[in-house]
Amino acid sequence: MATVTFVLSLLAALTSLGCMVLLFRAYWNSGLKLLLWSALCFVCLSANNVLLFLDLVVFPDIDFRPYRLVAALAGVLFLLYAFIWEAE
Amino acid sequence: MIEFMSGALTMGFLVASLFFFRFWKRTSDRLFLAFAVAFALLALNQALAQWVGAADERVGYTYLLRVLGFALILVAILDKNLSRR
Amino acid sequence: MLDADFSDDFCRFIQTTIPDVDAAELLLAVSAQPEVWWEPAQLGGKVRLARGITDVEAARYFETFQNRGLLATGPDRRFRYRPKSEELAAHVRTLATAYNERPVTLIRMIYALRDAKIRSFADAFKLRRR
Repeated sequence: MATVTFVLSLLAALTSLGCMVLLFRAYWNSGLKLLLWSALCFVCLSANNVLLFLDLVVFPDIDFRPYRLVAALAGVLFLLYAFIWEAE
Repeated sequence: MIEFMSGALTMGFLVASLFFFRFWKRTSDRLFLAFAVAFALLALNQALAQWVGAADERVGYTYLLRVLGFALILVAILDKNLSRR
Repeated sequence: MLDADFSDDFCRFIQTTIPDVDAAELLLAVSAQPEVWWEPAQLGGKVRLARGITDVEAARYFETFQNRGLLATGPDRRFRYRPKSEELAAHVRTLATAYNERPVTLIRMIYALRDAKIRSFADAFKLRRR
């Protein structure tokens, strides 16, 4: 079970990091603000996933929940800002 | 405070999911559908985690939903690159 | 009408001024009668019969047109069609021609331009550079 948790939470973290990289690259090439804010969203979601990984696997005794929530909330706010103001 | 943030986050994921659905409708790009479902799963994960409670041992299972969501995003990215339109 | 008539400048005009087909029709209706002073509700009524846009939507379009320098305002918040530059007037003429001769192409272009930014989000996930 521990290995499964390890692999799955690592997968989530790597995926969100990948999205972050791709969106930053696209912003670098195009200069579109939509992509910048989206990239920043995935910075925060990646932080959230990394903290989840640390929470479940590395430091199971420490509760990262408040920090995870703040990170994810910041991420989602970046994304909503991007979609509301920069999408058209 | 935790409950407030958890609720706000659930709502945020849900609204993001709705935006992705809208973009899917406009562009017919499968990637947006995948992101829409993924973010809906993240919303569900967040809501269930809050409902189940951090002390409950079952909370670990709710995180499977989050992983499923990101796995879906990964599949969408692979799909975009491997299938030639 | 050739594809070349859809110049980059014209595309930019569409992208910044014409968010959808209703807006295009509204602008064409106004530009067809440049000597008339329009009241927002009155004009909305004329187009509404044909396409079903609401007063609120019409007001939004008019605000955009005004910001882009297509309308001149007069007393009582009325306005009339007065493009600020010859370039703008030319774009509207191109719009009229396109609407009459290549409506399908024009409509496709309006919506493609509207969705351009969103598509760029999806395109960001293409690993190989075009």
